[in-house]
Amino acid sequence: MIGLIVVTGAARGIGRAITERLAANPSFTVIGVDLSPELADIDERSIPVQVDLTTDDGVHQVRKAVEDAGLPLLGVVNNAGITRDARLVNLTDDDFVAVLEVNLGAAYRLSTALSDLVADGGSIVNVASRAYLGNFGQFNYSMSKGGIVGLTRALALSLAPQVRVNAIAPGLIGTEMAMAIPEDVLDRMIDSIPLGRMGTPEEIANVVWFLLTPLSSYITGHVMVIGGGRSLS
Amino acid sequence: MNVFRAREVGDDWSEVRAELERAFDMSRAAAQREESFVYVVHHDDLLGRRGAGNAMVATGLLSAARTAAIEGWRKGWTANVVAYDDEADAGLVDAWVERLARDSSGVTGELIRLGPSHIGKALP
Repeated sequence: MIGLIVVTGAARGIGRAITERLAANPSFTVIGVDLSPELADIDERSIPVQVDLTTDDGVHQVRKAVEDAGLPLLGVVNNAGITRDARLVNLTDDDFVAVLEVNLGAAYRLSTALSDLVADGGSIVNVASRAYLGNFGQFNYSMSKGGIVGLTRALALSLAPQVRVNAIAPGLIGTEMAMAIPEDVLDRMIDSIPLGRMGTPEEIANVVWFLLTPLSSYITGHVMVIGGGRSLS
Repeated sequence: MNVFRAREVGDDWSEVRAELERAFDMSRAAAQREESFVYVVHHDDLLGRRGAGNAMVATGLLSAARTAAIEGWRKGWTANVVAYDDEADAGLVDAWVERLARDSSGVTGELIRLGPSHIGKALP
């Protein structure tokens, strides 16, 4: 099939790798969505939409871009996310709400706004995090990514059988976000990963590819943890 | 006792956010007092059976409890979730909530599912 895939948080990190992985296939045109001006450098075959997905206007602009493109919408990847880490006792109201709005609210709004446009046989992939299993200092982030898991399950039930909906839960991935972690902390985290290294954004993009395409045609409502075995150690 | 019972919400994001903010307020206040807390949710919501709004609240709370449990363990307070279904005995639900809300319960980061509807289904 030839058609569109919407990818949010497309300017950097995992979202960029997903965009590049998809855009390398001539069957797909990617609508890359991000708040960041770095979106201007996105793959030349892709359509950049620079908006704030925590606003109704931002969501409407993405829907309009899909309608204007004149191609069937084959998939949506809800990847946009931020962190504002603090222990629960010190977590501020502002940091709690900011993370919830971007990581969960935007994914919910966009999924709701686009679900009637997704073609039969289409697929939605929500990017949660291994932190949905719990992670020190990330009460807000963990709650938001846990919410993504619930959103995935509810949409999988309500959109079946026409559209499949799954989530991925990446662990420690070599993005800017990980590189901001102090070196000694990062070394300890890597020591706890059975595969002995961080994952790469490209490895996450490969799994998203699998979940977007008919390779995974009998999988829906699933959460795939991609963490090098860290959830076991 | 610090107990948060998730209310049913609709599919409006503002309702979901308000419910999660209410849980956050209770949780932070309890953690600052170094007291344990318990979330109570409907089991169907952990699997997304009663709509996206309720699902986001229930699974958000479960993940939040897991993270809070990590932070509270060394301080001596706990965070847990009790999930019930329509066949669960209300008295047993209350008994489990009370037991888990005690600082000395020794259980943390756990999901206790009461009633039969989870059997043979996905692990949340």
